[in-house]
Amino acid sequence: MTTPARHDLDELLAAWAHARRLPDADAERIRQAIVPAVPGLPATWWSEFNSKISTVITRATATPAPALAALGA
Amino acid sequence: MPPSRDDAAVFTRIFDQHRHAVHAYFLGRVADPELARDLVQETFLRAWRRLPEIAPLPEERQRAWIFTVARNLAIDSYRASAARKAAEEALRHHATTRETTVAGPHVHAELGERLAQLDAAIRRLPEDQRVILSMATAGGLTSREIGEALGEPAGTVRYRLSQARKQLAATLDLEDQP
Repeated sequence: MTTPARHDLDELLAAWAHARRLPDADAERIRQAIVPAVPGLPATWWSEFNSKISTVITRATATPAPALAALGA
Repeated sequence: MPPSRDDAAVFTRIFDQHRHAVHAYFLGRVADPELARDLVQETFLRAWRRLPEIAPLPEERQRAWIFTVARNLAIDSYRASAARKAAEEALRHHATTRETTVAGPHVHAELGERLAQLDAAIRRLPEDQRVILSMATAGGLTSREIGEALGEPAGTVRYRLSQARKQLAATLDLEDQP
């Protein structure tokens, strides 16, 4: 029969506290349940904005059809 | 008026500052870990609703406000379940059945056994000692902070903590080196 190793009370209490502490994931679930979604820009705002800018630039720099026709002539 | 990003940030700071202490308090007060989590959520939900009132307060007064709510919720919880005795009974029963969950799969078997013994011994402590011990260890609060939170003199907190440690050391045949 082996002699059980002795654990200092502080060491055991620290391990107990670690095991019983509220996990961060649980805390985050609680926080999210309390704080409603804060209004703000939608997640797609930046890509939609980029797309619109690209379209405007494309249109602004495109050669007009009459000019193309004149060049062809 | 809908909440702003600033409101959410302020609340998150308060939540992060006090969540461990509040959870530790409820761990000491109620038998059921799920109930402890629910009570943490209810406490901070009330803090969120009163955010404009508590946000400007200094940290120790925020803690006092939050623990006033927590104490009232714990009392309501007892009343609702008519359960102080039942809770104590559940604590004892729970202590005998949660050996594996306390230790976790990666903890050495012998340490796990000692942790289960410690858990059972903590659950048999008088409630006032159990709450203070939980707040000091799991909550990481000083005796002064616990005293402020519970409305007790720091000397009383230190005395109860010392009594709890002596009881645990005696039960587990450990050296107590406060």
